[in-house]
Amino acid sequence: MKPSSFDYAVPRTLDEAVALLNGDPAAKLIAGGQTLGPMLNLRLVQPTLLIDITRIPELTRIEETGDGIVFGACVTHAAFEDGRVPDPAGGALRRVARGIAYRAVRTRGTIGGSLAHADPAADWLSCLAALGAEVIAYDGHGRRTMPVATLMTGVFETAIREGEILEGVRVPRPSKQARFGYYKICRKTGEFAEAIGAVLFDPERGVHRAVAGATEAPPIVIEDAAAFLQEDGDLDAVKARLGEHGLTDPYSLQLHAVALQRAAMEAWL
Amino acid sequence: MRNITLTVNGQSVTAQVEPRTHLADFLREHLALTGTHLGCEHGVCGACTVAVNGEIARSCITYAVQCDGAEVTTIEGFDDDALMARLREAFTTKHGLQCGYCTPGMLIAARDLVRRFEQADARLIREEMSGNLCRCTGYMGIVAAVEQVMAERAELAALPPSQATLGPAPGPAAQISGQDRQPSAPARAAEAESRRAVPTADLEEISEEGLITLEQSFVVDHPPAEVWEFFGNLPQVARCMPGAAITKVSGDRLEGEIRVKLGPITAAFAGQGRITRDAAARRATIVGQGRDTRSGSRARGRIVYVVNDDAHGGTRVEVEIGYALAGTLAHFGRGGIVIDLANRLTQAFAENLKTRLAGGDTQTADGSAPAALDAGGLVWSVLWERLKAALRRLVGGR
Amino acid sequence: MTGQGIGASVPRKEDDRYMRGRGQYVGDIRRPGMLEVAFVRSPLAHARLRAIHVPEALTGRVYTMDDLDGVNAIRATSTLPGYKPTDQWPLARGKVRQVGELVAMCVAPTRAEAEDVAAQIELDLEELPAVVDMLAARRSGAPLVHEAFGDNIYLVSSFDGDIESAAARADVKVTREIRTARQCMLPIEGRGVVAEWNARLDQLTVWSSAQMPHIVRTGLSEVLNLRQAQVRVIPPDVGGGFGYKGILLPEEVCLSWLAMRLGRPVRWLEDRREHLTANANCREHHYKITGYATRDGRLLAVEAEAHVDSGAYSSYPFSACLEAGQVTSILPGVYDFEAYRARAYAVATNKPPILPYRGVGRTGVCFAMELLIDALAREIGMEPHEFRRRNLVRPDQMPFENITKKYFDSGDYPEALRRAVEALDVDAWRRRQAQGESDGRRIGVGISMYCEQAAHGTSVYAAWGVPMIPGFEQAALRITPDGGLEIRVGTHSHGQSHETTFAQVAHEVLGIALEKIHLVHGDTALTPYSTGTWGSRAMVMAGGAIAAACTELVPRLLGIGAHLLQQSASAVRLDGDRVVGPEGSVSIADIARVWYLAPQDLPLDADAHGLEVTAGYKLERDTGTFSYAAHAVALAVDTDTGLVEILDYVIVEDGGTLVNPMVVDGQIYGGVAQGVGTALYEEMPFDSHGQPLASTLSDYMIPGPTEVPAVRILHMETPSPLSAFGIKGIGEGGAIAPPAAIANAINDALAPLGVEMTESPVSPHRIFNAIRAARDETAA
Repeated sequence: MKPSSFDYAVPRTLDEAVALLNGDPAAKLIAGGQTLGPMLNLRLVQPTLLIDITRIPELTRIEETGDGIVFGACVTHAAFEDGRVPDPAGGALRRVARGIAYRAVRTRGTIGGSLAHADPAADWLSCLAALGAEVIAYDGHGRRTMPVATLMTGVFETAIREGEILEGVRVPRPSKQARFGYYKICRKTGEFAEAIGAVLFDPERGVHRAVAGATEAPPIVIEDAAAFLQEDGDLDAVKARLGEHGLTDPYSLQLHAVALQRAAMEAWL
Repeated sequence: MRNITLTVNGQSVTAQVEPRTHLADFLREHLALTGTHLGCEHGVCGACTVAVNGEIARSCITYAVQCDGAEVTTIEGFDDDALMARLREAFTTKHGLQCGYCTPGMLIAARDLVRRFEQADARLIREEMSGNLCRCTGYMGIVAAVEQVMAERAELAALPPSQATLGPAPGPAAQISGQDRQPSAPARAAEAESRRAVPTADLEEISEEGLITLEQSFVVDHPPAEVWEFFGNLPQVARCMPGAAITKVSGDRLEGEIRVKLGPITAAFAGQGRITRDAAARRATIVGQGRDTRSGSRARGRIVYVVNDDAHGGTRVEVEIGYALAGTLAHFGRGGIVIDLANRLTQAFAENLKTRLAGGDTQTADGSAPAALDAGGLVWSVLWERLKAALRRLVGGR
Repeated sequence: MTGQGIGASVPRKEDDRYMRGRGQYVGDIRRPGMLEVAFVRSPLAHARLRAIHVPEALTGRVYTMDDLDGVNAIRATSTLPGYKPTDQWPLARGKVRQVGELVAMCVAPTRAEAEDVAAQIELDLEELPAVVDMLAARRSGAPLVHEAFGDNIYLVSSFDGDIESAAARADVKVTREIRTARQCMLPIEGRGVVAEWNARLDQLTVWSSAQMPHIVRTGLSEVLNLRQAQVRVIPPDVGGGFGYKGILLPEEVCLSWLAMRLGRPVRWLEDRREHLTANANCREHHYKITGYATRDGRLLAVEAEAHVDSGAYSSYPFSACLEAGQVTSILPGVYDFEAYRARAYAVATNKPPILPYRGVGRTGVCFAMELLIDALAREIGMEPHEFRRRNLVRPDQMPFENITKKYFDSGDYPEALRRAVEALDVDAWRRRQAQGESDGRRIGVGISMYCEQAAHGTSVYAAWGVPMIPGFEQAALRITPDGGLEIRVGTHSHGQSHETTFAQVAHEVLGIALEKIHLVHGDTALTPYSTGTWGSRAMVMAGGAIAAACTELVPRLLGIGAHLLQQSASAVRLDGDRVVGPEGSVSIADIARVWYLAPQDLPLDADAHGLEVTAGYKLERDTGTFSYAAHAVALAVDTDTGLVEILDYVIVEDGGTLVNPMVVDGQIYGGVAQGVGTALYEEMPFDSHGQPLASTLSDYMIPGPTEVPAVRILHMETPSPLSAFGIKGIGEGGAIAPPAAIANAINDALAPLGVEMTESPVSPHRIFNAIRAARDETAA
C-alpha cells in the first residue's frame, strides 16, 4: 500500500516547526520516520502535513554537564550504537541501542522519535525510565521537563501537549558503582519485545529502580526494587509485585517477571 | 509536488515528487533503478535496503523528499565497488542466493556489516543480517559468504567510518533544493472531508451474530421508572459513550459518529443505529453499525440494557455491549481482546450512565460531544487492542 | 571430465544479474502508457453483496463484475467422485466468501492514486454468519459457504482397510489430536501481473510472476473466451514461489480483461498486506490419529480422521481436493505396517483458498504420523529412533509397494536413520540431557522421517482428474550457428537454478560448455507446453526431456562430423564437444557452422532434422520418484519463557543422483528454514468472524538468520531406477520433516513435566500454557 496524499515541510528552526505544528491540527512531525513510515504506508495515519524536523541543528546537539548529558531528539540509535555520542551510563545506552530493530532502522530512527511515539515495546522508554532520564519539551515560548517514567500516558500517547515538540532527553550520570541490567524477551531478533526488564542499582544515590516494559501500557516503574528483586529471588515474589501494578494475564506476568529477574541478575553480577 | 535534488549512484538528479512517494518507488519508477526491491513496504523485510549518505536504510519507509540533498547508493551503484565485488564472488561460491529477490538488499546490508565490524563470527553475522529476510536459502550460503569475506577483510582497503552527522541523513547541513520549506495551501483536508459520506444501511439487517460481548451491572439510587425515563432520551444516553456524537434522531433511528484516537491514528465510524424499547420489560436494545471511510473499516455493535428493581429501593441496570470490527483496522494482533481492557469498555459506559443518572454531566463544557478518546483509559480503546498489538509488532521498539 | 556435468557443484549462471540488480521481476516491467490497478476487497468474510457505490466522478476508473461482460468464472474441476467445484468469479458476484475477495478494480496512473480511488468506493454488504473453523464447518446447522453444496465439504476421501484384527493384537493404543496452523507461503516477491493487448498480433500478453505459465494461459483463454494462440504468458524472473504462484489468479483474469478493454497496458503488484490478508494460504490440517503397537516395538495399525481447511474457493488448477485427497494415501509415510484406515475431509470455510505449499500435504501428514510414532515409543518406553527402525520399509523390500499402493522406487531408509542418529550423536545428547543444563533449560532430541513422491506422472493426476494432468514433458533444443545451445522448456524457475542445472544435463550429453548454453523457459510463445514447476518435478522431468533431446542430436552431429572428417559414422564418437575420429576431430561449433552457414559442405544424406529437436520424456513408471530423509534435531527449551533454541540439526538425505550438490543443499537449507517457520513461528490467525489478524511481517513472523540453525546435510545417493541419470525430485523435502522433528524434540525435553505439544507452531505461549496446564493437573 502507498500512503494517502500529504504535504511536506522542512523547517530549519524549532520555532518554525512549532509554528507549522500550530498551523495544522492534522500535521505530524517526522524525524527518522521508522515508526511513522509503516503507519503511513498502511494508511493508518493520514496526516495533511508532514513536518520533517531532521534539518533543525539543535535537535542533534549533545550537551554534557557534570551530572548528565542532554541528547537532541534527532540523534539516531546508530549514533549511540557506534559510540559516536558519549554514554553517561557506562555503555548501557550503546548496548540498548544495538538491540533496537535492525541496523537499517537504527541509522534513521531517533531517540526522540521513539520516545514521542510512546510504543510500550520501545527499548528507550524502559531503558531511560530506569536510568531516571527526563525529556525536554519546547512549545515556542519555553521549555519544560518531565521524567521519562511518566512520559507515556497510554499506548502511543504521551504527556507532550499539542503544539509542543520533544526537543531532547537528559540522561543523568549514575555513580561509578551503579549497576545496570537490561533483559528483553523477543521471539525473533530485532522484532518487538514481548517483555522488557530494566534495572538500575545505584546504592550511592539511593536508587534501586526496576522497570517492566512492553506491557501494552505505560512501563511499570518500581522504585524499591531491592525489596523484591533478590539475587536468589523466586519468580513468585516478582510476579506478585507486578500483579499489584495490574498485570494479570498469566503468560504476560510470567514473561515480565522473568525479564525483570534476569535483568536484576545481570545487574547483580 | 516538490522539487528535490539528490545524488544517486554518483549522479546528481533533480526531480519533482509527491511527498508521499517513498524512496524505493522514486528509485524504481522515476529513475528505473529496479534493483531496489519491495518486499513488504513496512520496513521489515529488508529487500529495499539502500545506502543513504553511506549508511544503510530502508527505502520503503524513507520518503524521497526526506532525501533532498542526500547521497543515495543502490545496488546498481556498487558495480565497481571492490568490497561488493568480493561479496558477489562469495555469494555465488557459497550459493547465497536462489530467486535473487532479496539479494540486492542482502548484499548492501552485508557490505555494511563488513565495513563496520573488524571481526564477526557466524553468530554476530546472523544477528547483524537479521534485518534482511530470505525465503529461499535458509541463510546458510549468505552467512558462509559473509564469513568468507570477513576472513579476507584485512586485505581490503580502509573502509569509511560511519557518517559524522548524529541525526538521520542528510541532516541540517544539507542543501534544500526547493524554496518550499513551507507547505502548500491546505487543500487536502477538504478533500478528505468530502469523502466522508455517511453510508446508508438497512438497520433491520444488522447482524447481531457473533459479537464479542461484555456484561456489566450497577446500581443507582433512583427509582426504576425514573431511570427508564432517562433512557428514553437518546442523545442523553449517547453522551455516555465517549467520542460519540448523535447528529440526527428520528423516531427510533439515530445517525451519528464515534471518533477514536490512538496516538497519530484517528478514525471516525459514521453510521446509523436503531433503538428498540420494551417498556413492559424495561429493556432496550440499540444496534448500530458504522464505517470509517479513511480506513475502509467497519464496526457493528449492540448495547442492551435492562432496568430492574434493586433490593434496596434503587435500580439495578444491567448493560451488555457487543461489537465486531472488520476491515483494515481489524487485521492486526493475535490474541483477540485483552480481558481487562475489554471490561473497561462496558465499565466506562456504565460509569457514565451512572454519573448522568445521578445528575452529573459527561458532556464537555461547551455542550459539544465529548472529545474523541485517547487510548489512555477510555472505553473505545478496546476496539484498538488488536491494532495496538500489531503496531507494537510492526514498529516495536524503534 | 570438464567438471560441468551432472554431479558438479558449479556456480550458478543466473547469479551475476541478480547480484547487480539486473534481474527483471514483474514489478520491474514498465510498458509505455501503463496504468496501475488497486483492488477494492471485501472487508467481511461472508456477506451478500447488495451494491457497489461508485462516485460519479470516478466513472471509467472503477470496474466491477457487472462490467466484466462475457468473462467466465474460474472453475477447477475434478473427476473424483463426490467432489464439488466452485464458481470463482474474478470479481465478486452475489456473495463474498472471504475477507480480501476482489470486489472492484480501480485504475489510475500510479498505484497510490489507484488506492485513492479504491478508498472512495462504498460497499453495501449484508453480513452473513461466517464459518471459520473447519471442524465447526462440518456440524449441522453451520453457515454454508456455498449454498449449492448443501454442506461445507468439497471432498471426502478415504482408504478403507480392516484394522480390527491387527488392533486386537496390539499391546498399546495411542490416540492424539494434532493440528497444524494455517500459513502464508510468503515468497519475498509477491504476485504481480502486467497485461497488455497487442492489436497487431491480436494477442494478449501477460507478464506474471508464475510457476506454471502454460497452465495460466490455458486457464485464461478459457475464462476470457480467447483462443489459446491469442494469449501469451511470460513469467519474468520470479522471486520465490513455493506453490504460491501455482494458480490461475482472479487478478490475472481482471488485468487481462482490463488491458483489452482499455487498450493500454495495466499493472497490479500484490503488496504484503494483500498477500497476508487476502490471498491464498496453506497447510491448515487437523488429525485424530490412533496407532496400535506391540510392546516390543512393532507398529501394527494406524487409523486416522483428517480435516483440511480448504478455504472459500477451489483454486485452479489444483482444486480444493488435492491437499486433503493426498492425505489418506501418504499418511503411512516410510513405515511398513499391516492395517490402515483413514478418511480425510476437504472443508470449505470463509477464509482464503489454500494452495499446495512446498511439501503439500506431506508436512501435515509427517507431523501427525511422526508425533504419533514418538507417542507410541514413549508409551512403550522405547527410544523413538529404535521404534522407527523396527518399522521402516527395508532396503531388501525395494522397490516396495506400500499399504496405499505407493511405489517406493529405491532407497535404504534404515541406513538414513542410522546415519542421522550417529551424526547427531543422540547418545551424547542423552547424557547431556541427564546431567541437566546450568541455565535450567531442558534438552530434547527429536527425529522425523518422510519420503517424498516427486515428479508425479500422468496416472497419478489422471486419478484426480483436475484441469492439469502432466503427460510427456518436452524440451526443444537448437544448436546455434556458433556452436552454442539453446534449450527451451515450459517449466519455469522461481529460484531453483534451472539456468545452471538444466545446462549441466545438456553438458553431460553434448559436452558443450555451460557458458555457451542458454535456457529459454516459461514464455508460452517460445517454449513447449508444460504443466510447469511444482511437485519437485522440473529437474526430473524437464531435465529428462533435455537429456532425451540432446541424445537425439548426437547421431546427427556424428553424421555431419564423420562426413567432415571423411570417416564413416561408425568410426567417430562424441568426446566433449568434439566429434572425434581415428585421425583428427571437429567441434560442434564447426558442425553447426556447416549446417547453418555452409550447407553446401553437408553430406548428401544429411539428416533433414538438422540441429534442432523437440523430444518428450516420461518416467519409465509415471508414479514418481521417492526421495527421503531423516531429520534429527537437538534443542533446548527455556521453560520459563517457552523459547526454543535449536542446538544442532542434521539431515541425512537421499535424492538419488545429484545434478548439482550445491544447489541441492541450497534447496534443502531453504526448505528447512520454512519448516522451522512452520514448527515454531508461522501462523495466520483469524477471529471468529473470519477477519485475518496479521497484515504485516511483524505479525506474521517468518524465521530470520538467527532463527534458522546451521544445518548439517549428509547425502546418500541411491539412483532412481525410473529416471534419467537416476535423478529424484528433492525441491520440497526440506520443508516436510522439520515441524515433526522439532516438535518431537520439544516433547522429548518436556516429557518429564508431563507435557506433550500437538499443535504447530509450537510457540512459546503454547508451551507456557501446556506446562501450566500440566502443573495444574499434577496439583489437582
